[in-house]
Amino acid sequence: MSERSVSRTKQEKRWYTVLAPEQFDREELGETPADEPEQVLDRTIETTLGDLTNNASENNTKLTFKITDVGSDSAYTEFKEHSLTRDYLRSLVRRGASKIEAYVTVLTTDDYRVQVQPVAFTTKKADASQEKAIRETMVEMVESAAEERTFEELIDGIVEGRLSSAIYGEAKTIYPLRRVEIQKATLEAHPEEVAEEEATSVDVDEEDVATDD
Amino acid sequence: MSQDDEKWGIAHVHASFNNTVMTVTDLTGAETIAKSSGGTAVKQNRDEASPYAAMQMAESVAEEIKAAGITGLHVRVRGPGGNLQKSPGPGAQATIRALARSGIEIGRIEDVTPIPHDGSRAPKGKGGY
Repeated sequence: MSERSVSRTKQEKRWYTVLAPEQFDREELGETPADEPEQVLDRTIETTLGDLTNNASENNTKLTFKITDVGSDSAYTEFKEHSLTRDYLRSLVRRGASKIEAYVTVLTTDDYRVQVQPVAFTTKKADASQEKAIRETMVEMVESAAEERTFEELIDGIVEGRLSSAIYGEAKTIYPLRRVEIQKATLEAHPEEVAEEEATSVDVDEEDVATDD
Repeated sequence: MSQDDEKWGIAHVHASFNNTVMTVTDLTGAETIAKSSGGTAVKQNRDEASPYAAMQMAESVAEEIKAAGITGLHVRVRGPGGNLQKSPGPGAQATIRALARSGIEIGRIEDVTPIPHDGSRAPKGKGGY
């Protein structure tokens, strides 16, 4: 039974070539089969940065792309998520040293909402106050980076490690750092969605908010 | 990355201490190409997680995906995860080996065991082990 259905579905399904966004030179990411072109939409495909740039040393970064548009036999994607592989992140953690994480949600100049998660590793155990100062610097740097960049520029900076090295330069005066990385960056909302949220949101007076007293 | 004559897929391998389940999908994970689990290879329930069963499964799956025109696989292994074991069971390693031996190119191997950011309490230990 299974043999027959396999051969039948194979004839019906077409393979679509998935292409990276322009930002990543429209590189071929792989192929995906589907009966109908609509089915291909919203599928996500994951590759490493090393695969995209043909540089095996950058295989610690995963990039996820989401299919937004389908042509006759190719599918076009947009950036969805950037993240470090779990084994690489785990390899950075050392005993007797601090790991400082931050979660920042920012709005770029062209109104994309992005969540950025920078992480810093110190050489030795840092005090809580130092950790706090480093975290503050990280949040500030990410926010100012987003304020003056478009979505594409911001993602470029994150993927190529410019943002993390900028944070490193800034924060190493607070406490000696071993490494700073952006462990994750996720696209949260498009300009249209952000605009819609703003249009439908209502102003609430402070007095009208119910409090548990 | 990929030339015209090579097609890649993803092998999802769930290896617990009681069974090994493998599913081969396309790169997006949306379309299943082949699947197999311990029960297809051995009769005894307790053998479902064994490396031998994993080898048999991997060989039959390799045949199927070759027929579907796939030449290489990225591998995602996982153990039970959650509040259970964080490391994959005995079938994981055997599966990858058997796939490679049957002429499938192996790309990235990644551990995707679900790890809680502090979830529920782990089950208590069983006596007598």
